[in-house]
Parts: sequence; C-alpha cells; structure tokens
Amino acid sequence: MDCCHLLPDSVDMGLIMVDGEGRIRLWNRWIEERTGRLASQVCGVTLAEAFGPHVDPRIALVVREALDFGWSARLSHALHPMPLPLYPPGGGRVERMKQSIDITPVQGEGGPRCLLQVRDVTETVRREALLKQQSRQLRLDLLRLSQAQVELQRSEMRFRELARQAPAGLFEADAEACCTFLNERCEQILGHSLENVAGTPWINLLPVSEQARVRAIWCLAVASATRFAEEFRYVGPDGESRWIRAEAGPQRDGNDRISGFVGTLLDVTEFHERATRNEFRANHDGLTSLLNRDRFERHLRAAISGAREVADRMALLFIDLNDFKGINDTHGHHAGDTVLKTIAARVRRVLRSEDIVARYGGDEFAVLLNGTGDPETLDAILFKLHQAVGLPINLGHCHVRVGCAIGVSIYPDHGSDPLSLLTHADKAMYAAKRARYAKNDPIAHPSAQI
Amino acid sequence: MRTFSELEMDALTEAFNLSLGEAASTFSAIVREEIELSVPTIEIVSREELTGRLESAQPAGATERLCRINQHFCAAGGFQTDALLLFPEHGSLEIVRRMLGDDTAIEHITELEQDALAEIGNIIINSCMSSLASLFGSEMHGSLPRVQSRTVHTLLDDKAATDVILVARIGMSMAAHNLHGFVLFIMDVPSIEHFMDRVSRYFKLQLHDTGERV
Repeated sequence: MDCCHLLPDSVDMGLIMVDGEGRIRLWNRWIEERTGRLASQVCGVTLAEAFGPHVDPRIALVVREALDFGWSARLSHALHPMPLPLYPPGGGRVERMKQSIDITPVQGEGGPRCLLQVRDVTETVRREALLKQQSRQLRLDLLRLSQAQVELQRSEMRFRELARQAPAGLFEADAEACCTFLNERCEQILGHSLENVAGTPWINLLPVSEQARVRAIWCLAVASATRFAEEFRYVGPDGESRWIRAEAGPQRDGNDRISGFVGTLLDVTEFHERATRNEFRANHDGLTSLLNRDRFERHLRAAISGAREVADRMALLFIDLNDFKGINDTHGHHAGDTVLKTIAARVRRVLRSEDIVARYGGDEFAVLLNGTGDPETLDAILFKLHQAVGLPINLGHCHVRVGCAIGVSIYPDHGSDPLSLLTHADKAMYAAKRARYAKNDPIAHPSAQI
Repeated sequence: MRTFSELEMDALTEAFNLSLGEAASTFSAIVREEIELSVPTIEIVSREELTGRLESAQPAGATERLCRINQHFCAAGGFQTDALLLFPEHGSLEIVRRMLGDDTAIEHITELEQDALAEIGNIIINSCMSSLASLFGSEMHGSLPRVQSRTVHTLLDDKAATDVILVARIGMSMAAHNLHGFVLFIMDVPSIEHFMDRVSRYFKLQLHDTGERV
C-alpha cells in the first residue's frame, strides 16, 4: 500500500482532484506533461486559476454538481471537443489535444471531493474520421456502381430491342463456333432456337458438303483474328435449301485472346437465284435454253486450244431447219417457237452431255463434238440427228415435220481457228441444203402437214 | 403493489417536467440548436409488464435494438436505484449524428458517438435525479453512465424480477427529428417502499403548505 502515492503518475490518463472548495489537490504527471505546469505550481489553486479563462464553462458546472450532489458526469469529445487547454507532450502548443472527461464524486475523510479523469482521444478521432471518410467513399462508389449498372441494363435492353427488330439475323458465337446468342430473325433463318443449337458448333448445321470449307475459313478467322465473311448453302429442318451469307468480327477477352465472334446472318437465297438466272440468261437462248451464239463461240475457242494441247480432233456441226419460215407463215410464230423448242430438245437428247449445243441464229443450231474425228462415228451422229429432227412435231391442232441441212467442219482438217471452222461448216451446210433440194429429198422438203 | 394517487402522480410528473426542461436547455446550449423534451407520462410497473409492453410496441419480427444508458444511484439509508434511459438505437444514432452535424451513414455506432450518447443520457438522468433528490432531501451518489445496445427481450435481464420500475415516457425532438424514449428508475422492494413513503410525506407536506396558504 506504500506505493499508492505512485499510482496517479503511473496511469495513462489525466487525473485532477479538487476539494469541496474547488481547490486542486491532485495533479498527476500526465496533466503536468500536457499543461507544462507542475503539481507544485497548481496545488491549492482553483481550476480557473490553474487553466486560465479558456476552459469549457460546463466543467465548472458538473464539478459543482459532483461536489454538492454527488453526481457523476461525462463530457464527451463529440459535444465538448477540447474543454481543457491541454497540448500533446513534446509538441508545440498549437492545437489542443482532443479529450473526453469523466467527473466523479469521491467521498473522503476531508469532505466531498471530485475527480476529473481526462482521456486523450486524438487517435480515436483520427480513426473514426478515417472510417467515416471510407464510408462516404464507399457510398459514393456504390452509387456510381449502381448508376453504371442501371446504364448497363438500359443499354442491354436497347440492344435486345434492336436485336429483336433487326431485319438481319444477329448472332454471337464462341471461338469453337458454339452460339451464345441468336436474335429472333437468326432463329428464323436457321429454323432452330438457341437452346437447340447452343452446345454445337453452328458449322455442324450446314450440309456436309459445305462444312469442311466453312470450318477452314472460320478457323483461319479465329487464328488470324480477322473478319469472317462467307456464303454457304444451308438446309433448314423444314428441308428447304437456302443461301446464307455470314459476316462476323472477332471479340477479345480480358487477356486479349479471341473469345468469339459477333455478326450477322443474311438469307441471300433470292439474290443467289437472281444472279444464277441472270448468268443463265446472259449465256443461254431464252426460248430453247440452249447456249447462245456468244457463249458457243467462247466454248469453241476454248475447245480449240484444248484440242490443240492434246492433239485431239473435234467436229463442228451447223444445223439449219428447212422451210422453217413456211411453218411460221402458215401456223404462226407460236407454232414456230414450239418447233424450235422441240428440235432443241431432240438435238440435246441425241447428243452426249459433254457435247455442246447452241441456238446459233433464227432456225440455226450449232454443235461441238469433242473427240469425234473418225467419219463412221460422225456419220452415225448425223444420221441420228436427221432422224430426230425429222420426227413429227405436235402443234396441238396438227402435226408438222421439218427437215434440216447439216454442215460439218473438222478440227484440224478444215481449219485451226474458230472463224475458218465456222465458215467451212456454214458452207458445208448450204452445200448439203442444195444437194437435198436437188434430190427432192422428202426430209429436205418437210413442212408438209401430216 | 402500491400505487400513487392521482395527485401524487401529477406532482411527480410536474417534478420530472421541470427536470427535463433543464436538460433540454443544457442540450440546446451545447449544440446551439433548439431541442425539446416533451412532458413525460409516469407510471409504476413490474419488470415483466414493461418488457411485455416494449415487445408488443415493436412490429412483429422486428429486431430493432434499444440503446440503454445506465447510471446507478444510491443514497444514505439504503435507498438505491438504477436509472435507465432507453431509446431506439437507430433513432438515437440519428439524433446524435444530427447534433454532431455528421450525416455519414455507418450502420453501427462508433466509439465517440457512444460517448456522446452517454453524455446525453447523463444529462437527462442527472436532471431527473435532481427532482427525486429534492423529494428525498438527501444526496444521491451517481455512477458514470454506461451505454449498451440490447434487444427488448434481454433489456432488463440483469435486474431482479421482483424489482419495481418507475417509468417516465419522454419525447425528444430536434429539427423535425422525433425520438421517443423512456427514463426508468428500477428499484428493489425496500427502495420502492422508501420512495413511496418519501413521496407521500413530501406531498402531504405540500398539501399542508397549500392548505395553510388558502
């Protein structure tokens, strides 16, 4: 118990004791260090004398209550930040130390006394200020985040609506070509919903004949991180065949690797059909669907150079219908068209598929027979052609027969360029015509109504 | 259980009202803003009754905690009481933060805020105690305030079931913020008997004085 007097100087808080008169009786070392005044200097004086005028007036009030009524009181830092002029030890006397003070009555032999316990809350204040600052920052971040989320949702909704209304198919696929998104139009084009195809590469949906080609192009686009653009044939679950054009751009993940593609699917079937029709029209005769003169001459040039390379022979035939004009005049142009179409079909049927047949002029047909050099074969073909052309043709209201004259030129016997071969065949055809007229051959004078 | 007569109750209410007026002006001086403490309603109840009433006052399933500020008082002659100030935790935190001019929304009360709440409770309880002390005509020694956060269910677990409670329901308002709380004086049976005696004696004395004047 001898060391009791050491206690006040050992605690980490300020202790001041005042007696019933309000005079200081205890002033511990903690307070000495923070006021710069020693206990010996203040013992016996009042708080106002010890601290000067700059003391929170509430201290005097609660000290009085403690002495007179025995009540305890707390002066919190929040409501009384720095009630006493205390300064951090060792520092300049610039700013008061942040405090919290408890005032308690003490009953002793010498009458009522009052103890002031002063705590330094500087560190607590700093910590809580930091905590509140962090809380404000967190709230702000949260607000920004939720705003960004709302904007993201809006943008997502906008995209969904656009995708829903878009006339083109829109799709998203991963690097393995498995679809992760299809808009309604895309599902319509493919004839599959996303759930049906999600786990399979979309390339597997194509006809087997298309898969290898399209897969190679896709893999190239993934490997080189370039745009994918390709047209391919597609047969939907309904069995209908269409042409589809797919275009897509690469998407990168957080590591800058290609994570997939996003792009469009267009049904280009109609476009394809139109292009095919246009190409056919450009190369074919509209009435008979045989090649036209232009296209035939291009074939002829190609065939000559081909035959030249392999030292082959080939025959060029000119077929001219006899008295076709008479049918036109007697039965009308419609009947003439029927005759031309029928003859075209018969000539086509008589020949091999690799032989080339064209409508060369009004009632003139041209034929290119590859690898047909020997006279016997040629004669047999000519005979078959005469037979086929000469069969009766049903015009609906009557049958007619037409005959024909055929002129032949052989590469390389009669020429080694298109012009000389054509000229020779033309001359031979007229020669044949004249010869038949001379013989009054019934086939040379058909046109007779049966 | 003994109860107060209507006239005794009126006198008690009047005494508390005066004390709360003092407390309100102390607050206003500290925070430099008008703070009002409403006229209290006073009654005497058992611990179970009070707990039951507080429980039924809460919406079903609510887990609102109460902030409890506790000071112990004892007087010569064996009289002792626990003075408790109760506020809903959320509302009290709001008032404290308004007083401190800080609107940072941290869910839990911080150390400094708890300290401020202790001081607020201290001011109200000490003021109320001044009323009681004048009834007793003797000194009552008070401990420092202690702040705790408790659910209604466990609010008075540390008090004896036989204790009797003098309840003063008070309202506190500041800048459109309203907060309702209770000041409780919890006493054991000898203390309440002692208290009742004192009140009735004081009251008779007052009646006598008034009668003389008339």
